[in-house]
Amino acid sequence: MPDPLASRPPRVSCDGVEKTFWLGGDAIAAVGPLDVVFEPGKTTALVGPSGCGKSTLLRLIAGIETPSEGAITIGGATPAEVTKAAGLAFAFQDAALLPWLTVRQNVALAFKLARRAPDARRVSDLIDLVGLKQFADARPAELSGGMRQRAAIARCLVTEPGLLLLDEPFGAVDELTRTRLNAELPALWQERGTTTLLVTHSIAEAAALSDRILVFSPRPARIVGDFAGARHDPRARAGLIEAVAKALASEAELVS
Amino acid sequence: MTARSVALPSNIWPPLIAALLLVGMWQGLASLTEGMFVFAGPVEVLGAIAGEGSLLLRSAGVTLQSAALGFAIGNGMAVVLAGLALALPRLERLISGLALVFFCLPFVATGPVLRVIFGVGEGPQVTLAALATYYTTYLCLLVGLRATPASWLDLVRSYGRGRFSELIHVRASASLPYFIAGLQIGAPAAFLGAMVGEFTGAERGLGVLSIRAMRGLEVDMTWAIATIAAAISAVAFWFFGWLGRRLGAGPPPLLLSPRREERKSLGFGALDLTLVVIAVLGLWIGLMQAFNLSPFFAKRPQDVLSFLVADAANRDVLLDAFWQTMSLTVPGYLAGLALGAGLAVVLVTQPRLAAAALPLAIALRSIPIVTTAPLFVLALGRGPAGTITIVAVMIFFPTLAACLEGMRRTPKAVLDLFATYAASPMQRLIHAQLPAMAPAFLASTRMAVPSALLAATTAEWLATGTGMGSLMALTASTSNYNLLWSAIMVLAVTASLLYALVRLLERHVLKTFASEQLAT
Amino acid sequence: MTSFKLSRRSFVGAGLGTLGLAALSPRLLAQETKDVALQLSWLHSVQFGGSYIAKSKGYWSEAGLNVALNPGGPNAPVDPAVVTGQALIGISAADYASASVEQGAPFKIIGVAMQKNPFVIASLPDNPVNTPADLVGKKIGMALANTPVLQALCTINNVDINQIEIVPTQYDAAPLVAKQVDCLLCWQTDLPVAMAIQGVESVTMLMADHGYAVHSQTYIATEDSLANRRADLVAMMRGEVRGWNDYKADPKAAAALTLEMYPDQGLDLPTQELQAERQVPLMFSELTEANGFGWFTDETVAQNVETLGLLGRSVTPDLWDRSILEEVHA
Repeated sequence: MPDPLASRPPRVSCDGVEKTFWLGGDAIAAVGPLDVVFEPGKTTALVGPSGCGKSTLLRLIAGIETPSEGAITIGGATPAEVTKAAGLAFAFQDAALLPWLTVRQNVALAFKLARRAPDARRVSDLIDLVGLKQFADARPAELSGGMRQRAAIARCLVTEPGLLLLDEPFGAVDELTRTRLNAELPALWQERGTTTLLVTHSIAEAAALSDRILVFSPRPARIVGDFAGARHDPRARAGLIEAVAKALASEAELVS
Repeated sequence: MTARSVALPSNIWPPLIAALLLVGMWQGLASLTEGMFVFAGPVEVLGAIAGEGSLLLRSAGVTLQSAALGFAIGNGMAVVLAGLALALPRLERLISGLALVFFCLPFVATGPVLRVIFGVGEGPQVTLAALATYYTTYLCLLVGLRATPASWLDLVRSYGRGRFSELIHVRASASLPYFIAGLQIGAPAAFLGAMVGEFTGAERGLGVLSIRAMRGLEVDMTWAIATIAAAISAVAFWFFGWLGRRLGAGPPPLLLSPRREERKSLGFGALDLTLVVIAVLGLWIGLMQAFNLSPFFAKRPQDVLSFLVADAANRDVLLDAFWQTMSLTVPGYLAGLALGAGLAVVLVTQPRLAAAALPLAIALRSIPIVTTAPLFVLALGRGPAGTITIVAVMIFFPTLAACLEGMRRTPKAVLDLFATYAASPMQRLIHAQLPAMAPAFLASTRMAVPSALLAATTAEWLATGTGMGSLMALTASTSNYNLLWSAIMVLAVTASLLYALVRLLERHVLKTFASEQLAT
Repeated sequence: MTSFKLSRRSFVGAGLGTLGLAALSPRLLAQETKDVALQLSWLHSVQFGGSYIAKSKGYWSEAGLNVALNPGGPNAPVDPAVVTGQALIGISAADYASASVEQGAPFKIIGVAMQKNPFVIASLPDNPVNTPADLVGKKIGMALANTPVLQALCTINNVDINQIEIVPTQYDAAPLVAKQVDCLLCWQTDLPVAMAIQGVESVTMLMADHGYAVHSQTYIATEDSLANRRADLVAMMRGEVRGWNDYKADPKAAAALTLEMYPDQGLDLPTQELQAERQVPLMFSELTEANGFGWFTDETVAQNVETLGLLGRSVTPDLWDRSILEEVHA
């Protein structure tokens, strides 16, 4: 077997990917058909109406679900091979912290799951970075929703994966912290060379953080808009935001 | 709580196949041991049911009636007690302590006393059914009435409504799933209570028939009665689960929000203990005076004290029996817990098997101990092995069911997280499922304390003729009621203390694993 | 002695007739009918057949008594029911009653239904126990609580109890049938009957034939009742005597009546008939032939006091009071 982590950051490609769920005998098409390539080391924002299937796409890439049709490759390897090599990390919408572990233990858990020796120093550094220094030994129940999401992001980053899948990672984070995180975190993953897929509701966030913005249709998720991001060009952001919003609005009309 | 309503798995084949396998094994065992008067297989049981159908139906009806009445009274009591505890938080520990002590009174001893109080009729059957039911429902309700997200209460308060509205609109509906869970656990217990009640002298009923069948070497009949009792209990269990689902009460939710304001000091202080002891003694004397019970058999605390102080021989008799019972109870208790949790762990790595096992475990744990105890002793002999097995089996099924259910509640997102690292089943088990199982396992550990003592004393009474169970039953021939009441006291105190001990341990662990469940 | 010879059918008719009468009588005799209870020592069965006859034939209602027959059970209190006055008379045994008296119960034994104690050593024919000496080297299945009973039998017959292996069992025949033990300590009228009905023949050695003299199925009443309710006691015992005399004349009819009166007990006729037949020799002897059902003498009481002494009961002949029986049989 070739090393699934040979190319870092990896190129992610979806070829004719479709996902259908069965609900009491009814087929529900959630995704696709979808042909898309995410370039290595780039950050792509996925925007679209609620429930359109963006999260499902992330889950397909993460190997949690398997496509009904088509194939996904991550640096030439299958999602299953990549997950086995701990080559990706997923930040869940609801943080998915283990309630019985402290923040520190939750972050360190990633090392255990990746079958690597834990690096206590790095755990502490990342907890500091997401602003949870004083809460390192608190349990999730004692944190606010935003703090939990930050802990989950720290857990994603701690093992330095080549592919980051972020599902609304800042949904519950307050505006001030969000701005700070938006400024600091992308630098962190981008300097390490990480292919990043970011599902977000905030078009402004998408514009500020990404190299590329994909606009999705209502379910089943299909790409209906493909914009260059404005990560390095703050002046272009206002126009980009307007264009993306317009594309989204026309999709919303399609629904109604 | 140990049990929660379980939705029928969409695929009914695994449980069906498992049930068929079990029936096949049962028949096989019966065929192998033919002529030993131990096992009767499904064919023989069906034959007995067909042959004595109307008698069994009438008897089951009589017992069911007592059980249902006791069940209603017991659950009513639970509602009242839980309401009181909620309304008068200062008295909560006293109420809980008293409720526990009364729950821990051994059936073998309370039965005859109730018979004397009530005279002829259904009094003891109904009362024992109520006593067997109320405590678990009380506990469930106590958790349920508190398992209200703070935001819901804030919502009620934001409309300027008071505690009563809070109770009606929020707490009552929030506690419904827990209440249903309590009813589910209580239903088989009520049936058991009614059957034991019949042993104190009843005209008719399934308990009466079972004594007759056991004595008369009617193995087919004995197994038929055990089967019917188990079936009724299982049906009741499913019925309340179904009712809960109809009322929109899913399994009790796991709350993950912090509830710091409820987390006062956790200990059960010396003051609480003193209050409970005083209240128990007060009730002991007070009830005996109120019912004007004859001092010939209704010994007061002072009689028991002087009996135990006066003669070392009395203490020795009691202690000998006590250690004998404990030496069987403790290994059975530990074995039952270990096997229940162990099998749950094995099953959870085999999801298909688990889907098959859960409904079976729930059905089997409903089999009343009075009918199974003699069967086990018949099969395993009269040595310690038989009694230890009975205790273990009594604890095994509830533990298995609770642990499976607990692991099923491992948050979905956590399992997804493990999937994104392609974590091994072992990692998933150690880091996610076992911790998720911990609260359910600990709750079974606690609830198993009274069950273990009940099982051990019942086995001793009905089957082996040793230990505390036998000592209490023998009072009928020796009229040594001081000894009986001493035994009642020792058993109730032991059960209550062990229960409290496990509870302490549980709180300690829960603080780590599920702080949201620290409501009681 | 009264002796009815009736076919089952006419007997049932008569029984139903008197039942009908009994149902009417409270209204007819409203002033005179008194509710009293007889506390039985076990579940309903032909063991109490004479009492059922007395009730169904109206022997008690004739005397203005409406007698409730309260069933016992494995966990049913008999002595407390009598002490508290719930039952006017209880069915106990000399050993139980003497224990109660030691604990302060104000009892007297006013009649003895089982002249011979029903305890037997039951064994299988291929390995029989015919005499106490045969017990040596055998495994006996019994409740540990009955050790004093075996001890007493051994003492009376000069057998060393240490040469008998006691296997603690509860009360059922399975260990003997499964040959886990060589013999059982049990009652003549239950386990051997159950075995016989299941097709297992057994050998029984009646302990009463080897010096174990303990009155069983005795009628007990409180001293208070003896002082203040003599008329009721006499009427109750008179009904009992008549009922049991009928029983002796036709035990099979008593078995049939038992099933008829208590259809929900799970009893079957062959078992009840066999039990009914087997308890006759225990209840009726030369002594009762001469003096009437329930009788006891200073001599039988003395034998009881002696055996009870071996069982660790300190008891005096005062426990027995024959005055009621004397009135009944006068």
